[in-house]
Formats: sequence, structure tokens, C-alpha cells
Amino acid sequence: MYRTRKIVVLVASACVLAACQPKAADEVVIGATIPLSGALAGFGSFQKWGYEHAVAELNAAGGVRIDGNLRKVRLIIRDDRTDANVAAANIDTLVAADHADALLGSCTPPLVVAASLAAERNATPLVTGCAPLQSFTAAKHWQWAWDLFFNEPELAEAPFKAWQELKVASNHRLVILHDNGADGAVVGGRLWPALAAKYGYTVAANLEFPTDTTDFSASVQQARAAGADVLMVDAVTPQMVSIRKQLASAGFTPKLLVMEKGAEPTQFAEAVGTLADGVMVGGYWDASFAYAGAGELAAAFTRDTHHSLSQHIADSYTAARVLLDALASAGSLDKPKVNAAIAATDRVYPVGAVKFAADHTAALGIAELQWQGGQTRVVWPLERKTASFMVPVPVH
Amino acid sequence: MNAARKPLLIAALLGALLYCLPFALGPYWQQLGLRALQWLTLAIAWNLLAGYCGQVSLGTGAFVGLGAYACALSGNQLDAPIPVQLALAGLVAAGFAALASVALFRLRGLYFTVGTLALAEALRILMVNLRTFGGASGVVLRAATPAFHQLYWLALAIAALAVLLAELLLRSPLSLSLRAVRDDEDVALQMGVRSFRVKFGVFVLAAFLMGLAGGLQALKLGVIEPYGAYGMSWTIDTVAVVIIGGLGTRMGPLLGTLIYVALSEALRNLPELHGAVAGVFLLLAIRFAPRGLWSLVARRPAHG
Amino acid sequence: MALPDSAALLQALVSGLLIGALLALAALGLSLVVGIIRVVNLMHGELVVLGAYAAYALVQLTGLNPLLLAPLAALLVALLGWPIERYILQPVARHGAEAPLLTTFALSIILQNLLVFLVGGDTRALDSGLGARRLGTGAVSAPLIYVIAALVALVVCAAVHVLITRSDFGRRIRASAEQPDDAAVVGVAVRRYYALTFMLAAGVSGLGGALLGMVFSFTPAAGVDYLLTGFAVVVLGGVGSVKGTLLGGLGLGVAESLGATVLGDGYRLFIGLVAFLVFLMLRPQGLFGRRT
Repeated sequence: MYRTRKIVVLVASACVLAACQPKAADEVVIGATIPLSGALAGFGSFQKWGYEHAVAELNAAGGVRIDGNLRKVRLIIRDDRTDANVAAANIDTLVAADHADALLGSCTPPLVVAASLAAERNATPLVTGCAPLQSFTAAKHWQWAWDLFFNEPELAEAPFKAWQELKVASNHRLVILHDNGADGAVVGGRLWPALAAKYGYTVAANLEFPTDTTDFSASVQQARAAGADVLMVDAVTPQMVSIRKQLASAGFTPKLLVMEKGAEPTQFAEAVGTLADGVMVGGYWDASFAYAGAGELAAAFTRDTHHSLSQHIADSYTAARVLLDALASAGSLDKPKVNAAIAATDRVYPVGAVKFAADHTAALGIAELQWQGGQTRVVWPLERKTASFMVPVPVH
Repeated sequence: MNAARKPLLIAALLGALLYCLPFALGPYWQQLGLRALQWLTLAIAWNLLAGYCGQVSLGTGAFVGLGAYACALSGNQLDAPIPVQLALAGLVAAGFAALASVALFRLRGLYFTVGTLALAEALRILMVNLRTFGGASGVVLRAATPAFHQLYWLALAIAALAVLLAELLLRSPLSLSLRAVRDDEDVALQMGVRSFRVKFGVFVLAAFLMGLAGGLQALKLGVIEPYGAYGMSWTIDTVAVVIIGGLGTRMGPLLGTLIYVALSEALRNLPELHGAVAGVFLLLAIRFAPRGLWSLVARRPAHG
Repeated sequence: MALPDSAALLQALVSGLLIGALLALAALGLSLVVGIIRVVNLMHGELVVLGAYAAYALVQLTGLNPLLLAPLAALLVALLGWPIERYILQPVARHGAEAPLLTTFALSIILQNLLVFLVGGDTRALDSGLGARRLGTGAVSAPLIYVIAALVALVVCAAVHVLITRSDFGRRIRASAEQPDDAAVVGVAVRRYYALTFMLAAGVSGLGGALLGMVFSFTPAAGVDYLLTGFAVVVLGGVGSVKGTLLGGLGLGVAESLGATVLGDGYRLFIGLVAFLVFLMLRPQGLFGRRT
């Protein structure tokens, strides 16, 4: 039995050694869980830049003053692989093993809700973007988690408003295609049909599919058979790419094409090429918006990465800034104090004015964007537009 | 008298020690302990099914997922208290196992294995598509998540139950029938063993324990969705733990759990490598220690 | 779910047949391994996905069209097959029936995680350049790439069938499968033929994967679906029989396509799994056609 005991001791020691992560006494640790791989990796890459840029800016300016001393901020990012279980586990690890003082969240409701619930359990403040507000508040009455993003009803209504103001002609027949995730079901299953009725559109078909579908033949056929001028889709990027390609393969190009959520990151345009032209997607930020620091943020991103811009750099940068500003304003690492400081946020950031309501949400305004020549242009509201609306969607 | 009491005493001491853990150690160790106890429960269950009864199932995810959903939904719809939620979690999983047995046990050996894999995937796809159970968005638990040390004690209770049930089964005359079915089912049948009943019983028991683990996961996360709840990672972790520790041995699940926890903590900062390394460990274990690491370290030949 | 009209059903039938041929190709490797080497190969799906990734890597390297590179991708996967069978699977064969199965399970985990580690978990697709080109008339037509992929699948299946049934090599393989001891006595290097068979299976799977990558998208986790679809095809059509695998594939493709048209795209694989389970239970003689 001695050998057994030896092995058990070895194993236990390995555990302990692996666990010991000394925290530098003069550091502030911010933990973040981001989808760096998996279906949402497209969003994750921009979030990573946004968070890192905010922290780097602060450290370059000296750091944050806690209990009278200027301290540097260390950002620890963990990949949640687009898996809600991993997002929750990451939060636990960040708080317990990495000694995170505050947290930054992931992207899309399943991951954000899972991470936020874990943050609540660990009584640690978490600020996030990238989670539509209704799906965030529907989950829980939050105490420690804060979300700054758009409201689904506004997003859902934007295309209809845009078409009305731009006086776009169509046969007012509409097909809806949406995934059965949290916001897909809300936007595609509930909001769009209701808005269609309000604006005088007939819903010829409303089709639902699970988030990991790869073959959309049946849905595409049904959409084509419905004879609609308008197709509205809500899905994540990989599915959106497949759908756009399979639409083209099936020889079906509707006059008006809205592709919510998944068509927003540049990875979509890179994957489908010219097929992106004419696709409309709701957006909450563009480099042209006149908020403090918006232009500088865009310039910094282009300089750092030489990639095309994405609006996700704005909400992630702002979320990190909100958190860091709250730390500075609280002047302490005491979690309830930091939490109270976040609640008191009332400032204009590059993504817009941020002030949290009682339900821990801060709403960002919606604009309608359209892919043109590999870039998104603002086509609505008219006072903010950077290009003319392209209609119909070009056939390639 | 003393010889029989000793393991009981050790078990009681160990139990008391583990119970006191949250008072002495911080949240990190409680989390680790929780994960270890979850894996231990699953490992004991799977070990009974595959190690002692010879039915290699790759459908662990199905029962964990069912338990998670049963727990979440009973909490939301019926406002059930936690013990009832967990009990339902186990019972729903066990019920599904009972129903599926009728069909699954028509398949023997390797086909049973592939059949369980197909069944688990089919269930996952069904849950993803059905809106009644929340579809891809899943279910959020309305009640507040229990505090971490409470979750830990629940996990301890469930693991203790698993150990108890396994021990009772293995010390009963049924254990001979189990091994007979494992070693050669046709011969066992000829000798009068009611192999279907034996397999059915172990399958349902294992499913019950897996369902409990799933219910615990739901309580811990506060929200469940089909990809994580019914995912393959449950099967992978369970199989790896048992094979590495020792399939068909008493201490195998425990040893395997300790090693697996150490492994996952050591690779904490390299999550992509974790899966690959676990697979390599599994590969090496099958090749060089087919009776698991326990057989390598125990002085006496591993009797199971 | 509205009941579709006859044009939609006809379209679904055509798509189903085309995809079915491709599914048959992707399942052929599994059929060979299970039928000849008698191993339930749980890493089959990963071999298919590996073919898609190999083609992707070759496209990145050379910039050529994936259709041209597909055979090379298949070859790369085939080469990987030799050491896997000879040095990882064969040594554990003597530890009982579950050991090879669990070994392939372990290998599938390793491969999947290695892929995520090396290339990331993002969804990728191969661009065959045929994009939206279609064949056929307005109501019933098919994307050109579907047709080409199906033709390649048919040709390769036919070639493998001829190889197995008419060639010397094929005779030796069948001997190694049916009576390994007798074959060994007359000088057939059974272990070598098992390894060669695995190579053939891996190559065919890789080719199927490369073609599937041009028709659909793929991620490292896509293997499970191809494994289960492969099993469904094999059970429907028969193990080791190329003709059977082809018929099984066509049948499954049509069933999935029609089912998706009626129930929705999300249920595609579900139908395959149900078909698989039902058929598996209805065949009293099991997969091999005789008592194992």
C-alpha cells in the first residue's frame, strides 16, 4: 500500500502546485471570458482588442489609484470556446484561482448569462457588452452584472423604419429565418412578425433552425417558394455564411436582405466575398459617430491590426472603460464599492452615453448598416448616413 | 469484527474530513472538490455499468442532461425544494434508462455501445429543436443559486450515496450475476442468470446517479442549455476517469478522479491541450495498463 | 410545418440523392474498417473532417482549386492511417473487444482537440469556385458542386468495389477478414493487409470529407455527425459491401432530405439516428450477418 500512498501524495502535491498562483500585491486583476474559438470567434477577436486597448491605455497613463497608490492593471483573458459551461467555469477560475477583482463578460446571451450567473455566485462585479438587453434582463434580477448594448425591439424595428423613411418599394411579402437561440427566437420568432403586421408586411413563412445546422436546403427552398421580396435572417456568423452561400447556390436572391447578428463581423464579408453586398445588418456604432473618442478608437484599431473595423471594438472598449473608471472612482478593490461605482456611471464613451438603469442595463442607439464593397456603411438614420441605400441586393 | 469495522471507520473519518473542507479552505478548493465529487459520482456509476457488468455505454451525456433539465424545470414550474429537484433529476434519468433498455439491450456488445452514442446524440438534437424545453436557449433557473459550500455538501452527499449504492451492490449476491453477464452473457443465460434483469438494474442505477450529477450541475450553473448539458464532454471525462483509474476495480474511480482533477488543474491555462492530453492518457492506459493505474500500484492483484 | 408541394418534394428527392452519394463515400471507410478489420472505428468522423482540413491547408499553401487538391488531401489522410492501425490499434487488439473501440474513442478525442489547438475552432468552408452555378431547370435543379461531388463519389465507390471484388489485393483483404488464421497459413501478411485496408478506408473518408467541405462548412467538432451518419449508412446497407454502402447512403440522403423538408433542417441528423437505431434493432443477425 506504500506505493499507493506515494502516488496519492504525488497527485495531491501536483494539485497544490498547480493551484498556487501568487498574486502580485500591487496589481489589480481584471478577468475576462471571451469566445476566442468556436462559432463566435469572430466577435471574440474584437472584444479581446477592445478590452486590451482600454487596459493598455490606462497602464500607459500610470494605472489606477487604489487606496492612495497607483497600481497597474493586469488583464487575464480566458477562452470560453463558445461554450456556456466553460464560460461559467472560467469565471469561477478567474475569481478563485486568478484572484480577479472585477470581471468583463463574453458575447451573445447564452455565454453572457452563464458568465453573469457565475459572477453573481462569486459576488464579483461584471460589466459586459454584446448581450441584447431583453435577453439579459429576462434571465435574472441582476445584482453584480451590468450590460451595455442595444434593445431587441429597437434592433428589430430598425429595418422597417429604414425602408419606410427611404421609401423602398417591395411586394411587402416577408420570409423570416431564425435560429432558436435566445435572441434569435425573440427577434425572429416574436418581434419581426409583430412589426411586420404593424408596417403592413405579410409574413409568408417563419422558419426556425437550431444553432448548429449546416445544411439549410429545406429552409432555402421554402423561402424561395414563398415568392417574397424580403428575407430577414437571425443567426450567428458560421450559419449566416452558410445561409448566404446556399441562397446563392439555390439561385434565390431576394430584393431586400436583412441578416441580423451574424452578418455584422468582418469575418462574414471575408467568407462570402461579393455576396455580402446589399446585406443589411443592425448596428450600434460606426467610426463616423460623433461620440468622444470614437474616431481615435477606430484609428487605433486600424493602426494596431490592419483589419477592417467592427462595432464590437466600441462596446467592449467601453465596457472595460466603465469598469476601470468605476475602480478609479471607488478608489478601492472592495467589491461592493466597485459595484456601487458602476451603478453611478453617467458618461459619454466612444460607443455613446452610458448610464445604467435600475435593471442594470444601458441602452445603445441603433443604426441600420449595409455591406457595400467589403465595408459596412450607415444607411439609416438619414442624418447619420455615410452612403446611399443599395437596392435591390445585387445578383452575382 | 474489527476487520469489518475498519473500512467503515476510515470511510466515516474521510467523510467527516471532506465535510469540514469548506470551513478550512477557500472557494478554490471547494470548486475543485465539487468538480472532483461530480466526476467521482459519474465514474462510480459508469464503472458499475461498464466495468462490472460489461456494458460499455457512451451515452453518459444523455442522463446528465436529463437530470439537469429535470432539476431546472421542477424548480421553475413546481417550486420544488432542492432535495426534491435532485431526486426528480435522478428519477427522470432512471426512467428514461428504463424505457430505453427495452430497445438498447436488444443490441449486444459493441453495437450496444454505438447504440448508446446514437441515442445520446438523438436526444441532444431533440432537445435543441424542441421549443417546449427552451430550445437552444435552454432554461434559466428561477431560484437563486445555492452558495458554493452548500453545493459542495450536496455533491458530497451524492458521491457518498454513489459509494454506498455501489458497495451494497458489489457485496450482494447480485455482483456474481453482474460479472457472469460481463464475462460471457450466453453462458450466464444458460446458467440461469436473468441477464436482462441484471443489465436493466445496473443501467437504471447508473442512470439515476448520472442524473443526480446532472441535477447538481444545473443548480451550480443556474442556467442550462442542450449543448453543454447533453454534450460529449460528460462521456469523455467519465470514460477517461474510469479507464485511467482502473475499469472494474473498486478504487479505480477514486484514483482516476484524483489524477484527472490534477491533470485538468495542471492544464488549466492550456484548455485546448487538456482534451488532447486526456486522450493520450486514455490511449496509454488502454495500451499499457488495461486494468488501469490501480492495478499497477496495488500490491495485491486488483480484484474486481 | 406545412406539407410541401410536389415540386418541393421532387427537389428534395434530387438533393437527397446527390448528397446521399456523398454520404455513401464518407461512410465507405467505416464500412471497410468494421467489415474487414472488425473494429468499431469511433474516430471515423475525425478522418472525414481531417480530409476537409487537409484540403483547406493545401489550398492555403498552393492557392489551387480544392477540387484539384482533394485527391492529395485524401492521400495525406491515408498516410496517417498506416501508423494508426499498425502501431496503435493492432497492439491493443488482444486486450479484448472493447480495447480497440475505446482506443479509437481516445484517438478521436486527441485528433479533435489537436485540430482545435492547431487551427482553431472556427467554422471553415472550401470554395470550389463553382459558387452558384446550377444544373437543371427552374423547379428542379441542383448546385453544380453537388453534382460533381456526387459523380466523384460514385466513381470512387465503383473503383473500390472493383478493387475489393476483382483484384488480387482485394482477395487477400477479404481472406484476412473472413479467415485470418487460414490466410496467415497460406502466407497472407494479415497484419499488413489490415493496415493497408485502414489506409484505404482513411483515404476514402478523407476524400469524402474534402468534398463535403466544398458543399457544406466544417469545424473540428463536426466528426461526431459524420460518424453517426456513417453508422446509419453502414447499418442500412451492410458492412463491407460497397454496393450496400452506396444504396444505404442514397437511401439515407433521401430520407434526411425529405424529413428536413417536412420537419425542418434541424432534424436532418435526427432522422438518420432514428433510422440507424431502428434498423440496428431489426437486424437479428447483427451487423455482420452472422453471430459474432
